Amino acid sequence: MNPARVEVEGEEVGHHYGRRVGLRSTSFRLESPGVVAIRGANGSGKSTLMRILAGLLRPSHGRTRLRIGERELAAKGRFRHVGYAAPDLAFYPEFSVTENLAFAAETRGDSRPSVAVKEAVEQVGLQTRAADRVAALSSGMLQRLRLAFALLHDPALLLLDEPANHLDEEGRVTFETWLGRARGGRLIVMATNDEREWRLADRTIELQGRGLGDPA
Amino acid sequence: MPIERSSSRAAVWAILRKECRSEWRTRYGLNAALLFAITSLTAVSFAVGRLTDRHDMLAALLWVVLLFAALASLSHAFVREVEGRTLTLLRLVADPTAIAFGKLLFNLLFLVTIEVVTVPLFLVLMGAPGPRWPAFLAVLAAGSVALAAAATVVGAIISQTRGRGALFAGAAFPILLPVLAAAVSATRAQWSGGTVDGELRLLIAYAVALLAVSLLLFDHLWED
Repeated sequence: MNPARVEVEGEEVGHHYGRRVGLRSTSFRLESPGVVAIRGANGSGKSTLMRILAGLLRPSHGRTRLRIGERELAAKGRFRHVGYAAPDLAFYPEFSVTENLAFAAETRGDSRPSVAVKEAVEQVGLQTRAADRVAALSSGMLQRLRLAFALLHDPALLLLDEPANHLDEEGRVTFETWLGRARGGRLIVMATNDEREWRLADRTIELQGRGLGDPA
Repeated sequence: MPIERSSSRAAVWAILRKECRSEWRTRYGLNAALLFAITSLTAVSFAVGRLTDRHDMLAALLWVVLLFAALASLSHAFVREVEGRTLTLLRLVADPTAIAFGKLLFNLLFLVTIEVVTVPLFLVLMGAPGPRWPAFLAVLAAGSVALAAAATVVGAIISQTRGRGALFAGAAFPILLPVLAAAVSATRAQWSGGTVDGELRLLIAYAVALLAVSLLLFDHLWED
């Protein structure tokens, strides 16, 4: 469980993809612990905001701040402290579930990669498929792998985009149990339009505007 | 779960191992590269016979075969990540510089593997005179580092663009030309009894310059 205090702040942050609006200018302040759900119409910029928070996308205007404990992290170094699961996260199809997670743990410099991988796989109920190649996984199993990847390095901030996507009823129950364990002292931000997921959140933010498709 | 402060060295090493394992499982590049090298050398050997006294032809042919055998795979190191949508995963586990150096080391290893098969075959089939080994190997090493560095930098730059294939040819030509010219000239010189010091210095300086450019560029390359 990660005890460090997390603060995420956005100041007039917005993004354009060429001439199209990806995310309208928005400001917010979030603190750990807690689960925050971000809602909004298709194309309102939920996924764009998640990528910006993860440090994967530089906003066209405005800025975000991520503070963990007393340290403010630049976008470049956020990957060490952020767990990210999103539909755009793909894995190496020629590697197994375990090999993909072990690669992530070893690359991040985890001192006990095999222990971290085993725990992450167990938490999402992927034990029986751990040796299978990713190419052979169903969409639901792939989603479980994304969740395992997000929590693998015990991050202080979890960013989950459509986290229960493709999960069946059993998978959803596993996800809700997983989320309960993941809460701890963390800040968890979920981008979702699923009512069942909103109910798991302590706070909800609604993104306004139709987003992508609107002229800038 | 204790996490050590992620060292770039661990990340580079992990990425290199991942690349090797992926290549071994999929054989994306190695089979095609070796097939090209072997068939082209055999075809040239049948067509023109032994080129024992043509040091200029030998040097040019050696580097052209190495370049074309390796280039398709070298240029795709980053394209594969973009087309397989795994670049996000990579960016979430390592900083851009570590990713770039992991890829560069793999490209170098790939080139060396091709050379281990191609160079002895070339020397036998083309009837090349015995090289001055220290000079020959030094040129081969420096040329390989420069070639791998150039292909890695250009491959990273073009991976995010739409017309990748055409763009790679256009972008790589001016960057690869000095490497090829210096490598061919030095290889010819070592067969003709000349000195290779000037070309060797040029290749090393060029490789160092490309690595320095890589360090400056990679932090900014993959921001959407």
